Amino acid sequence: MENAAIQTHGLTRRFGALTAVEDVTLSVAPGQFFGFLGPNGAGKSTTIKMLTGLLEPSAGTVEILGRPFGATALDLKRQIGVVPEGMALLGRLTATEYLHFVGRMYGLDRQTTNQRTQELLEFMQLADENKKLVTDFSHGMQKKLALAAAVIHGPKVLFLDEPFEGVDAIAAGMLKTMLTGMINRGATIFLTTHVLEIVERLCSHVAIISHGRLVANGSLEELRAGVASTLPGAEQEQRLTLEEIFLAIVGAGGQQEQAQELTWLT
Amino acid sequence: MVDLAGTRPDGAGQPQAFEIGGVFGSLARAQYGAMFTLRWEMFRSGLRSIHGILDLGATGIAWMIYAFLGLLLGAGLGIASYYLVSEAQWRYLPILFWVLCFLWQMIPVMLASYQEQFDLGILLRFPVHFESYYLLYLVFGLLDVSTVLGAVSCLGIWIGVAVANPGLLLWTTLALAVFAAFNVLLVRAIFAWIERWLRQRKTREILGAVFMVALLSLQLMNPAIYQKRHAGRSHSQQQAEQFEAAKERYKPYLKQANAVQKWLPPGLAAQSLREAVEQQPAAGLGLLGVLCLYGVLVGGVLAIRLKSEFRGESLSVAPGRSKSVAGSSKTSAGLSLSGGESLERGGARMLAGSGPIAAVIEKDVRALMRTLPLLYAIGAPLLLVLVFSSVFLKNGPVQTPVFPLALPICMVYAQLGFTQIFFNNLGAEGAGIQLYFLSPTPIRTVLLAKNLLHATLFAVVAIVAAVLAALRLGIPDGAVIAATGAWLVFSLPCNLAAGNIFSLKMPYRVNPGRISRQRGSQANALLSLLVQLGVLAAGASVFALCWFLERMWLAVPIFLLLAVGAVYVWRRVLDNSDAIAYERRDALMATLMKES
Repeated sequence: MENAAIQTHGLTRRFGALTAVEDVTLSVAPGQFFGFLGPNGAGKSTTIKMLTGLLEPSAGTVEILGRPFGATALDLKRQIGVVPEGMALLGRLTATEYLHFVGRMYGLDRQTTNQRTQELLEFMQLADENKKLVTDFSHGMQKKLALAAAVIHGPKVLFLDEPFEGVDAIAAGMLKTMLTGMINRGATIFLTTHVLEIVERLCSHVAIISHGRLVANGSLEELRAGVASTLPGAEQEQRLTLEEIFLAIVGAGGQQEQAQELTWLT
Repeated sequence: MVDLAGTRPDGAGQPQAFEIGGVFGSLARAQYGAMFTLRWEMFRSGLRSIHGILDLGATGIAWMIYAFLGLLLGAGLGIASYYLVSEAQWRYLPILFWVLCFLWQMIPVMLASYQEQFDLGILLRFPVHFESYYLLYLVFGLLDVSTVLGAVSCLGIWIGVAVANPGLLLWTTLALAVFAAFNVLLVRAIFAWIERWLRQRKTREILGAVFMVALLSLQLMNPAIYQKRHAGRSHSQQQAEQFEAAKERYKPYLKQANAVQKWLPPGLAAQSLREAVEQQPAAGLGLLGVLCLYGVLVGGVLAIRLKSEFRGESLSVAPGRSKSVAGSSKTSAGLSLSGGESLERGGARMLAGSGPIAAVIEKDVRALMRTLPLLYAIGAPLLLVLVFSSVFLKNGPVQTPVFPLALPICMVYAQLGFTQIFFNNLGAEGAGIQLYFLSPTPIRTVLLAKNLLHATLFAVVAIVAAVLAALRLGIPDGAVIAATGAWLVFSLPCNLAAGNIFSLKMPYRVNPGRISRQRGSQANALLSLLVQLGVLAAGASVFALCWFLERMWLAVPIFLLLAVGAVYVWRRVLDNSDAIAYERRDALMATLMKES
């Protein structure tokens, strides 16, 4: 794809004998809200780590905004924001102090950092928690703070690893609106989550990874049509949900029967 | 098929292999077995990496050092107890027990960063009795260095008393067993409560401030106290008279203190031996009974703390205050663009600069003020200077000046206290280490900022230590001052360079809320000590040479020349730090993000 916001070629990561991600080639267009799905242990977080410079690929290449991206591509790092798996928080600071620190690490001047910090804390409903240290925050609050830190420098490409995990429904609604607003202003968002309803509502394109390999990639309609074509005639007429598409692609066959066999469960 | 009550007709749905039983029931015994197996498996897993093997080697060496110290301590206490019992000097016997008790409680603080313990919080999800939890907490505590050293010391006293008076063998065994049990409970209770308080930001900051103030007060008090003594040291007769006068003056207070200490645990243990010798077994047993009551009391205090943990209070999260809903921030979707006044109120400016170096320094200063182990590491050198300056003061012959090289030796101890800060400068970052790899700021900049901060902190501590040493020992010769300054200019970049490499290659997580139970890297501790010793040996050689030649000023150009090389090495390490960090980023993040 010409001028892709995110482009990978043959991205692979091995840990000893285990191949966590194998030959992943995908392309995300600018302004796209891209959902990256997969079962537990499929390789989602490993892929996102390679895309953001937290992990070196064993093979393959990554391009961000049309330029090769590596861990030391510092100028490109200014253009991306990340909510990583570990959230990258500093527990001994307050939320204000932490956002201050992050803003300055991304090269923002103090005045801009101050202004954005206050706006983000109010938006995330964390302004009243200013005396608490981050380590004393609940998991949901930490997620909100991690998201605020990921966007404080106004990134063009945003990587989100499970951003809605532990976030309450009200905050989740606000975050969705914020992310949609970013898309409308031209940002690109790469999202992994297990909440398929969110992906269905927000994402225009979806890729599915299973056992480290990309097994589906395209717009929601393309995936829907692809899965429907494999179904019997009557079922083809039904509009499939993303959950049904996902289960059909990654294969959940036999698990319901297996669950029935665990008869000792009360 | 499962029925609605959740039981099966054949009863196979329940874990009937174990009876619930009590603290030594079959379930509890199976759990103890599982815990010991788990520890063994963890130990074996740790040996899969080279770092783990290095750690094991370093642990072995550390234990050899502890064993040597324990034997020295035990032998000293044994000889002293033998002398006191054989000479029937019973009134001085409590001193040995007080020394032992003090060391037992203080050693965990002194060795905090070297100890590795197992977090029993994982037990809370299982059907574990509180009594079992308590027992495991105590049993795993028995692996502490303090307990082992304490036990060896007890053995020393036991042998000393038994050899001096074989008739006291059984009695001594009983008294020392009760006394040891009391100490084990006391040290665990103290640390359990301190750790609880450290979980709350306010108490943590108050404790930190109290600690620093106490340390500085102690230092400033001493010159005042010793001023007179220093001035009058030339008149030994006068000194002896002053000592006698002081003895007379404080006699009533000493008597009162002695009367009180008799009823405190060390006094009770010593007194019970005396009663046994004086054929008063009932009185002796009574005193041991009181000692047991102390043990029960301390055990109860520990139980209160552990009960809270057992009920689910998370040690990683302090109890939060209820959240104010009134005046809550807006819930609308858009971000407003209001000014930053309230932010300025919330987070005061510390540094005028806004670049990454200033940001890292500002962040580290804030974190430092909230991290007691690091504050302790910075403050401890001052205490060491106090101790060592006392040694020079006491050992210096009357009417002769104090040892002329006392100042550089005090500086050496001041620098040793910074080992953890220099050699594990990323240890307190935790999950925040990811940010350094995500942000456009090079790791070189981050390390440079940390080095600047640590060098400044060390300079402040060195100056304070030098002033205090001068107040206590007098102002040293100008050449010695200049040579000491030049040595610091050489040793500081050496330590910073090696520290940066160790921080990237052999880091360990510093848990900010704990002063004990840190999961330290033994290999880091040992190797960093070796580097320090190397730098010290180089310095000592130059000092010795110049001392021998009676040309102390010669040390200044030599050290400055060495410093040029050291600064070059430090810069090279900084320039390569990004390459090292990115090569090691997986291990670095895995280590520092690991929950401790």
